[in-house]
Amino acid sequence: MSNSDLIKRYNYDEFTREKVLPWLNFEASPPLGQKAPDFPLWHLDGTETRLSEIWSQHLYTIVEFGSFT
Amino acid sequence: MNALAEQYAEYEVGSIFIYTHEAHPGENYPHHTSMEQKFAHARALRDLLGVTRPILVDALDGACHRAYGSMPNMSWIFNRAGIPIYKADWTDSNSVANAIQYFVDVTRRRREKERLVPFRVERLDFRTSDQEEFYKGLERSGPKAVREFREAGL
Repeated sequence: MSNSDLIKRYNYDEFTREKVLPWLNFEASPPLGQKAPDFPLWHLDGTETRLSEIWSQHLYTIVEFGSFT
Repeated sequence: MNALAEQYAEYEVGSIFIYTHEAHPGENYPHHTSMEQKFAHARALRDLLGVTRPILVDALDGACHRAYGSMPNMSWIFNRAGIPIYKADWTDSNSVANAIQYFVDVTRRRREKERLVPFRVERLDFRTSDQEEFYKGLERSGPKAVREFREAGL
């Protein structure tokens, strides 16, 4: 899948079973107790950071994923 | 979750919100086609829903969100080494509060020289299902989001 196709499919344009369900994959998410994968993230002012920079700043870090909708 | 973040900040607990894709795209908040649009929606979340935790925006292809299971509103807790110690496929402040209090206690017990070793536990937690509030959220996105959710039957 090309990156542009991935972007289009991930950002599905309508909430249908066919477009939504394939993404829900919590069972295959990183296991507890092992180093987690790191990714770039962006502050609202556009500056780039990384998830690892965030979790390294505190003893524990609570991360909620979500969106406006 | 905002209150929880404030409550535990003094225990060296950080809290963030990672902005993903639109779970229920509608006329007012359609699916993302650019990072600029994704930033604008994240700012709307902050301004209209009053999220006081730092909001970090994921890549347009959802690289981080997808790697962690792509659930629409999941929560994780990491330790400073980047090891996940709690994960939930849905966010419930009571569940997260219960977990973070346990881990704060673990820190205290270790500082008191108690010898602790990790073990795995699975648990089924329960969250409030507020249909009225959920539909208000769909309506914010627009009539399309309400219609599609009803039609999907999920």
